Amino acid sequence: MILILGMDLGVFIAWIGTLLAAALCVVYGLYYSLIKKTEEQPVLPKKQEKKQEEER
Amino acid sequence: MDMLFFVVLMAIFAAVFIFLGYLGYKRTKTAEDYFVAGRTMGSLIIAFSYGATFISAVALIGFSGIASIYGHSILWLAFLNIFVGIFIAFLFYGLRTRKMGLSLKAMTLPELLGNRFKSVKLQQISGLIIGVFMVAYTSAVFLAIASLFQVTFGIPYWVCVVIFTVIVGIYLIVGGLYAVMWTHAIQAIVMLIGMIILTIGIYAMLGGIGPAHEAAAALTPANLTSIGSPAASQAPNGLTSMPPLLSQPFMMLLTLIFGVGIGVLAQPQLIIRYLTAKNEKALRLAVPYGAIFILLMTFFAFSIGPLCNVLMYQNNIMYPVKDVAGVMTANPDAVIPTIINEFFPAWFILIFLFAILAAAMSTAAALFHTAGAAIGRDVYEKSIKNRSSPQKSILITRIATFIIVIATLIISLNPLDVVAFMTAFFFGLMACTFLAPYTLMLYWRRTNRIGVWIGMLGGFLFTMAWYILIYFKTAPKIIGTPLIGNYMINMLDPIFIGLPLSFLLTILFSSITKQDKEEEAIMKKSFENI
Repeated sequence: MILILGMDLGVFIAWIGTLLAAALCVVYGLYYSLIKKTEEQPVLPKKQEKKQEEER
Repeated sequence: MDMLFFVVLMAIFAAVFIFLGYLGYKRTKTAEDYFVAGRTMGSLIIAFSYGATFISAVALIGFSGIASIYGHSILWLAFLNIFVGIFIAFLFYGLRTRKMGLSLKAMTLPELLGNRFKSVKLQQISGLIIGVFMVAYTSAVFLAIASLFQVTFGIPYWVCVVIFTVIVGIYLIVGGLYAVMWTHAIQAIVMLIGMIILTIGIYAMLGGIGPAHEAAAALTPANLTSIGSPAASQAPNGLTSMPPLLSQPFMMLLTLIFGVGIGVLAQPQLIIRYLTAKNEKALRLAVPYGAIFILLMTFFAFSIGPLCNVLMYQNNIMYPVKDVAGVMTANPDAVIPTIINEFFPAWFILIFLFAILAAAMSTAAALFHTAGAAIGRDVYEKSIKNRSSPQKSILITRIATFIIVIATLIISLNPLDVVAFMTAFFFGLMACTFLAPYTLMLYWRRTNRIGVWIGMLGGFLFTMAWYILIYFKTAPKIIGTPLIGNYMINMLDPIFIGLPLSFLLTILFSSITKQDKEEEAIMKKSFENI
């Protein structure tokens, strides 16, 4: 049986998959904090929204 | 270990938490403060609180022990813990839950369901299911932890239970979710320190990642039998290889990995964390912090578990056992404590003791808070005709939480048989009951009250029936012999059938019935900001 870092293929995929999943989360965090600088729209009650539209 | 030193450190530990409880009390002015920490939490606190709630002492020590039996195959659970438990959970559930929670002014999962489908009864029944089963689950968590402390450190069982309950009860009831989440941040740091040192220590002793895994792979069933390790039969292809497809160990892993790995999405105590975020960005940025925390907890715990066999074999240490009704059986919960006692210095034993204590307290505090909110806010307060003021709402929940803390203490001191297997029960039950209605409520506009009622109750009743009549861990203790003897069926977690059933029922009945006008208006409002 071929072992990678002492693990068989099924276990190695889980091992590397866990590290990659964590890396994905870190990359996502970096992307959001460094590149995508969007902030959500503030939640406005409907009346206020209408008022704003009328003002426009 | 010097007992006096332990007591002094314990007193400092308790004093810090109670002080944070006091700060939480000073800051708690409204119901929103008490239930969702004023929706003011940043990414790091959310991530640590989510992680510390998710990872209990049972997970930390118990799952390392399970890994010592089934080998590194359990790393699939670490993968799901991060990919599903963090990435999918925060991005596909957390963001929408927070927005819908704001639109519907909801502060608990039952309130979210009740407000979304304009049904007080739905909120009350959901709250009741959560409250009742969470008390039993919390008792089970206490039972496991206190037993562990008793076996490992010689501290009497009742002393452990009383100390946990009193400290957690005080800062939780006084300080609400502010106190819970702040203490979680400290507890998470203690857990991280303990786990990082332990993992680096074990890998260093075995010569690094490659050599350690190769040493584990080289252990034959005969080697494992010589130290009394159950891995000899439960990891038939070796500690670093997958078990044969559809064998009993394979089915055991399958049920564990999917039961916990998917079940995490519908845990009410975790869902509350999404509602505490101060903005969308806080939730998004909690993703990397949460992933790193879970990686350092579960990935490390599952990685070192099998390696404990190598250390025990190389040093002629027998696999720990416990006396169950006069029969000596393998005790996986004592594997990590045994390794620490044998191979680590006294100062680290103390650090790890506090890491376990922190893991136990953080999970217990989150469970008490969620159960208190479920019974106080969702069940009792909704049965009062006059709307209560925010102050009265907090008082009701504080009283409900106090009653739950006392009930848990009584159950933990006089544990019933049913309590012991609640840990196996809880994740699956919550997932099969709430995951389908919760997911469809967030994503499918046609979901309606009738569909949610039938999907929720269908999932709940099926899961209860499965645990009582069929599931291999619970059915023998309730009815003697499972109705189905085939292990490929009775070892399946109910999530495999109960969850699709609950989805099917919710979709089917939402399709064949219509929303009334009021429901439709609320549906539009709840999707306004999504």
